[in-house]
Amino acid sequence: MAKLKSKKKISRRKFLQGTGAALAVATAAPGVGAQNTATDAIPRTAIRVTVNGTQRRIEVEDRWTLVELLRDHFGLTGTKIGCDRGECGACTVLLDGKPIYSCSNLAVWADGRSVQTVEGLTQNGRLDALQQSFIEHDGPQCGFCTSGQLMSAKGLLIRNPRPTADEIRAGMTGNLCRCSNYNHYVEAVLAAAKGGSR
Amino acid sequence: MRQQQNTSIAPLKTVGHATPRIDAIERVTGKATYTNDIRLPGMLYARILRSPHPHARIRRIDVSKALALPGVKTILTHENCQVVWGAGGISGGLQYNDDIKKITKHRRYVFNNPVRFVGDPVAAVAAVNRHVADEALGLIQVDYEVLSFILEPEEALKPDAVKIWPEGNLSLNAQNQAQPMSTRRGNIEEGFRTSDLVFEDRYTTAFVHNAQMEPRSCVANWDGDKLTLYTPTQGISNCRSDTARDLGIPPEKVQIICQYMGGGFGNKNQNQDADLITAMLAKEAGAPVKLEFTRKDDFIGVHGRWPTVQYYKVGVSRDGVLKGIQLRGYSGMGGYRKNTGTIGGIDIYQCPHIDSVVYPVYTNKTVSGNFRGPEYPQGFYGIESMMDDVAYKLKMDPVEFILKNMTRKSRDEVPYTNYSLEECIRRGAETFEWKKRWRPQPGSDPGPVKRGAGVAFMAFRSALGRSNAVIRLDAKGHYTVFVGVTDVGAGAKTTMAMIAAEALGVPVSKIEVVWGDTDRCPYSVGESGSRTTIQTGYAVVQAAEALKRQIAEKGLPTGDNVLIGSASPNPTLEGKVRAAFGAHFVEVQVDTELGHVRVLKYLAVHDSGRIMNPLTARSQIKGGATMGIGMALHENLLYDRRNGQPLTAGFYGARLMTHRDAPEIEVIFIESDDGYGPYGAKSIGESSKVPAVAAVANAVFNAIGRRMKDLPITRDKILGALA
Repeated sequence: MAKLKSKKKISRRKFLQGTGAALAVATAAPGVGAQNTATDAIPRTAIRVTVNGTQRRIEVEDRWTLVELLRDHFGLTGTKIGCDRGECGACTVLLDGKPIYSCSNLAVWADGRSVQTVEGLTQNGRLDALQQSFIEHDGPQCGFCTSGQLMSAKGLLIRNPRPTADEIRAGMTGNLCRCSNYNHYVEAVLAAAKGGSR
Repeated sequence: MRQQQNTSIAPLKTVGHATPRIDAIERVTGKATYTNDIRLPGMLYARILRSPHPHARIRRIDVSKALALPGVKTILTHENCQVVWGAGGISGGLQYNDDIKKITKHRRYVFNNPVRFVGDPVAAVAAVNRHVADEALGLIQVDYEVLSFILEPEEALKPDAVKIWPEGNLSLNAQNQAQPMSTRRGNIEEGFRTSDLVFEDRYTTAFVHNAQMEPRSCVANWDGDKLTLYTPTQGISNCRSDTARDLGIPPEKVQIICQYMGGGFGNKNQNQDADLITAMLAKEAGAPVKLEFTRKDDFIGVHGRWPTVQYYKVGVSRDGVLKGIQLRGYSGMGGYRKNTGTIGGIDIYQCPHIDSVVYPVYTNKTVSGNFRGPEYPQGFYGIESMMDDVAYKLKMDPVEFILKNMTRKSRDEVPYTNYSLEECIRRGAETFEWKKRWRPQPGSDPGPVKRGAGVAFMAFRSALGRSNAVIRLDAKGHYTVFVGVTDVGAGAKTTMAMIAAEALGVPVSKIEVVWGDTDRCPYSVGESGSRTTIQTGYAVVQAAEALKRQIAEKGLPTGDNVLIGSASPNPTLEGKVRAAFGAHFVEVQVDTELGHVRVLKYLAVHDSGRIMNPLTARSQIKGGATMGIGMALHENLLYDRRNGQPLTAGFYGARLMTHRDAPEIEVIFIESDDGYGPYGAKSIGESSKVPAVAAVANAVFNAIGRRMKDLPITRDKILGALA
């Protein structure tokens, strides 16, 4: 892996400003209204869920999946839907610290629990070591699976901070990458684990 | 990681240095905006109802119940929407244009009657949310007259086969003639007459889907008579002209926006039926509409690689010199012909007598079209398996056979701009330790777990062509590059910034790239044919030169002034052919009791000219090779022969490569600068998949001593061959 010049590194201030703006827009968007059902008979449940450290209260339709809640109603579109049926891992988020497919979990099941998405990986404007390492190793090609790969890797490092390459492959095997940049993803996670989390 | 090893070319300041993508932060923070992340005020959600039958005539569609569902706004069917989808088929694989549109007999509409495959769109619903749209699909009543169907191209050409089109099942060309595609050189009979030995065999390849991670989606918005489409397209420029032509509106009234897209590998080039359907729904509804494909929609409603049947007859002298190659090929195009259906590969051999006839045939399977080197991975699998087999039958080392018979001039006649195939093969064989890993006696390892090595090589087009670029310099010293590229994942945006930085002699950080919006960017070739870097990159170099001339003439801009350099080059090659070259070496281990194949070692050696960005170029090679392993060993969209239903329409069923399947891919670039393209860049993206399938298949043969002639080489087939 070529060493990167320091100027290629991420300006964290620039990044933080960007994220703040994006979230503000998402919150202002008519998200909840946009998906209102046409029929009144759809059962709804009020839930309380912590998303990226912030507690949110919302009345959800019982049929909403967690990814639908995150993307359409909280404006957290970093989490992607690749298959919507538990096959690809693009929608992986952490639920109480464990990676799950958010397309295969109902939003109501998140009641009283804590969800972390890719938007919550940065802490105090600093990129997570995994994010930095993904950039340096050119993990994302098209980038569509990347959020899921990141969250899966994050979950893996929480339970196994020093995984071997084989453990990484096993831990992330539920995250498909059709650009097939698997080598680079594994290298990136290995390097991030060696560097320790920042 | 292996580092760049050579080079005989002079180093440059920016180009050639590993550079992270300029939009990398967006890609790792979830900020990158993909089409489905777009939401417009008052936007409706759309879903598509697809044919459940492989072949049927629609007698009647009743949408009244669906329309009565609260929240449903608009429903389109073949009765109220007759838009021809030009890029969807009909043109014999040629670019669709007005002349062809006028004469063609095989017009593909966005909604067709009869429907010709399971997944052919029947209706589209726009509603206030996706749940209502979904519910409405179930309320549409369609009365089908079910017709008999046919799945395999050879069977479809039999006289008693059901006709999918009135003119029969051999696809018409752009002149409405039902003729196969023929290539001839020399006299094939003479070739076989002068051969000492003649071998014949049959190879087949399966339908494999592009299966890009991002399912197709589209957001359409009309502002008066101006249409804005947010859509994942590999070519914003061709998507705009296609859409304008299909909808009968001027191109300047269509704006195509594609900022980020989640892969395509060929199935997002040009415009898509999704674009036209969404535009029509939005027009009818008088509101913005977002169409979302489900993953199953994407698998059966969007094209994949055409399956083939390949009959080869090969004549050689006793000392292993090719005398004649004959191919009779059949390509399954699905219900519409979206691409040529050719079968590539013969041209990489030096041979005086060649006779290739390929039949593009309609079937009632999902439509076939572009997928990473459209006609090559399947064709190279066939011809390179065939030649590998011939080498063993002559008791020759396959590497020696290749060195003796590989192309040295394009079609034995036109010289290449540079030629490094021999170096790719020799260097690869040495690095891979071919002599150590290859078994002179195939299948000779003792015990049930056997190892073997295989090799395949390739030459892939790196043609020049027209494109545009505009570069603006302001008084603060900021350069803005306007290029009509999209970034399908290969890193075009970063590559353009690097090329501009190199040409202007400034750091990449001074360059901003404006891309992916037809209202802001000039025409660019689509991200197809692995030519964005070559063509648009060259335009960027020329625009930079134009800007430098302006600066020399007028001095640097001051105040609010700007200087602009632009270029629209259309370079040509005279009397030469440009090609990227490469060779892949693979070692596999086959468990002959379980039929399981594991790739132990994989080396890819490529000459893609000068490498613009080794970081992203390496990703492209690794990705293509890994995809090729999947195609060789397990990917398949299987159909039930009894009812024509696709059985594996999803990631899991189609068996894509996963983290656990993917071996380490070792990459070596042999760099060159032939004086063309930007700093000598040649094609990369598609070429890495081209030889991969054949190399894996040949390694399996070396391990088990049985030639696997039908893709994919699944466990059952291996166990069957060994039984």
